[in-house]
Amino acid sequence: MVTRPLSHERPGRPRSPPSKRRRAAGATPAERAQPLCRDLGLRAPVKKSKCPSCPRELPLQGDASGLSPPGSPEPAARLELQAFRDYGASWYRFRKGLEGKFHPREPLAQQPQVTAEARCKLISWLIPVHRHFGFSFESLCLAVNTLDRFLTTTPVAADCFQLLGVTSLFIACKQVEVHPPRVKQLLALCCDVFSRQQLCNLECIILSKLHFNLGAPTINFFLEHFTHMRMESCQADAREANNAKALAKGMAELSMADYAFNKYAPSLLAICSLGVADQMLHHQNPLDLHISGYPERVLQDCTDKLHLLVSLNGDSLPHVLPLEMS
Amino acid sequence: MNKMKNFKRRFSLSVPRTETIEESLAEFTEQFNQLNNKKNEDLAQGHLQLGHLGRGFRAEPTSVSPSEVEGQSPKAVRYRRSSQRRFSMEDVSKRLSLPVDIRLPPEFLQKLQMDNPDFPKTFSRMSRRASLSDIGFGKLETYVKLEKLGEGTYATVFKGRSKLTGNLVALKEIRLEHEEGAPCTAIREVSLLKNLKHANIVTLHDFIHTERSLTLVFEYLDSDLKQYLDNCGNLMNMHNVKIFLFQLLRGLSYCHKSKILHRDLKPQNLLINERGELKLADFGLARAKSIPTKTYSNEVVTLWYRPPDVLLGSTVYSTPIDMWGVGCIHYEMVTGRPMFPGSTVKEELHLIFKLLGTPTEDSWPGITSNEEFKGYHFTRYQAQPLINHAPRLDTEGIDLLMSLLLYEAKCRISAEEALRHPYFKALGDRVQLLPDNASIFSLKEIQLQKDPGYRGSAFQQSARGKSRRQSIF
Repeated sequence: MVTRPLSHERPGRPRSPPSKRRRAAGATPAERAQPLCRDLGLRAPVKKSKCPSCPRELPLQGDASGLSPPGSPEPAARLELQAFRDYGASWYRFRKGLEGKFHPREPLAQQPQVTAEARCKLISWLIPVHRHFGFSFESLCLAVNTLDRFLTTTPVAADCFQLLGVTSLFIACKQVEVHPPRVKQLLALCCDVFSRQQLCNLECIILSKLHFNLGAPTINFFLEHFTHMRMESCQADAREANNAKALAKGMAELSMADYAFNKYAPSLLAICSLGVADQMLHHQNPLDLHISGYPERVLQDCTDKLHLLVSLNGDSLPHVLPLEMS
Repeated sequence: MNKMKNFKRRFSLSVPRTETIEESLAEFTEQFNQLNNKKNEDLAQGHLQLGHLGRGFRAEPTSVSPSEVEGQSPKAVRYRRSSQRRFSMEDVSKRLSLPVDIRLPPEFLQKLQMDNPDFPKTFSRMSRRASLSDIGFGKLETYVKLEKLGEGTYATVFKGRSKLTGNLVALKEIRLEHEEGAPCTAIREVSLLKNLKHANIVTLHDFIHTERSLTLVFEYLDSDLKQYLDNCGNLMNMHNVKIFLFQLLRGLSYCHKSKILHRDLKPQNLLINERGELKLADFGLARAKSIPTKTYSNEVVTLWYRPPDVLLGSTVYSTPIDMWGVGCIHYEMVTGRPMFPGSTVKEELHLIFKLLGTPTEDSWPGITSNEEFKGYHFTRYQAQPLINHAPRLDTEGIDLLMSLLLYEAKCRISAEEALRHPYFKALGDRVQLLPDNASIFSLKEIQLQKDPGYRGSAFQQSARGKSRRQSIF
């Protein structure tokens, strides 16, 4: 069993004062980020998700909630559902077909210096960082995928690993964000130990090594897809569907940082996260996991691992729930 | 900015460092350059070293700190021994999935036969890559630059010729040395086009990545719809309009099926070759549309082809955004003039409402509470019958046009549905069954007819060059 979240002790951590919030066994990505905050993290965006007075800022809820024009509450959702009716099946076929090609298998197997622990630490840092910039969950998924696939091609020195993390995020954002981060911002995040030239060079190397194959199918896509399928079914409960999706996204984030979950395909993780979310929320009309086409045994294995992950990080998940649920 | 400090962090990992970051990165870059030089030298000297198909891989630097990983390359390329056999050109082409018309250098085949009894039965990804590079793929020297076609902020486009196939190509040279690294448009365009293989989408043959620039090698098409309209005096044969529109919808339907929006449809972006094949180009603005409710930049579509919902500030959109543009292009082909040639947002909206009627709660639910709309105080126009403006279009054509130009985005006909519209019945049933990579002209019943306004060759030399707008690349 390897599901226990990796320990995230940081031996050399002179600048961050030990935080009271840290838990012994496992923490959410948000929790893990806490020790990084020097001034008690009061203004850190990760705190926002715990603040009940600002539910609209909740990054895991509908991304456009604050952005759709006033007077039209959810035109985006309706438009999206219409597009799903037109094309959902072929989107799924297309992404599902690419899944194997983009799935990095054992990215750390050939790494002399980068350990699962370091990867966990890096991703746990990237999670609050992406949220801080207001980037989408899709960007985060793409960044982690780019990172992992690059690791399968190239041994990386420990002292370049953080640069690799931000550069992967940079490339991911350039694909899907309207406003990608500036190089300067990314360098500042790493306390300016790297130069602009280094970041641009690494970007060039990553693009070259991955042969510009960057559009990986993500957990985010499959979460949306299965949720849309659920909305379309006859006894659909929109509230249940949205809540399950929000909780499943939180779980997906947790699993991303955990190397043990690397072996599961995004579509499998997505369907199982939704299943576990339904169980946790005691939903009346849970999603039928078999719509994913995975055999029972495979679903069960992944579900068990997710349950374990959740039980080890139980305290953190309520934060990702929509307000009414927590 | 203050907030940012909270995240600032330098990881110092517990692994003992062997060298400084500067050193290891410098070394990495060095190796990267060497790799490129080496590739180039090989070709320049003409010795293709095919005895070692895997060599390209081994020479490739695989390590950020090479001292650590000597002899640990992730995947050793190993060939299965197979009995000696002779290789024909077709054989090699098939194995490497090269274009059929490729001309392999004779040395290549010879080398294969003479020196390499171990020609592998199957290619691993790595070895395949290496051997493609040995033939000349991914190398700048493989393409001869002819004249310059255009220049933009990020890219310069040249007409070129491939030494491998002898075919004309369009070389889009993108400079990478920017403050912010590789341009987003280049990253999107390459990563998207790599996955799009369709007869009505411009083919990305190859790309060459060096430290300073990225060159995309596209198939060359000598005209675009804008130029085609100019050349036939803006009077197209109605049958040809149908064929072009069908091809546009085919390409678009394929994009939408893979969740990609084009977002910048306009006649200049629809390339046309002498056969009459129409292909979608310029995916710099397109994006894998994976974030359902994510907002998009408001400034995407050229004003003339921009849907009213986007003009009124909607930042959430989906596949219907492209369908409005299809309607405008259809009209332009039929009438020979742009449908809504507005130069400002207000003028654009005004032109739309004047023709299609100022929207009401009936034609566009929710519009009366749209602040932007209210702010403009448009006159209440009645919708005009489209047939008065496009008298050459038949009833079915008008019906299709109406379903494309609907105010409410979610009601617009999808590309997929539009392909099955009765308007296209005249093209026969077989066009519906074409495989993705088959051109519509592979069916013998589909043929272009003479355009009434046709002046000499539609693709006359004189029309190229000056009038050619290079927005396509």
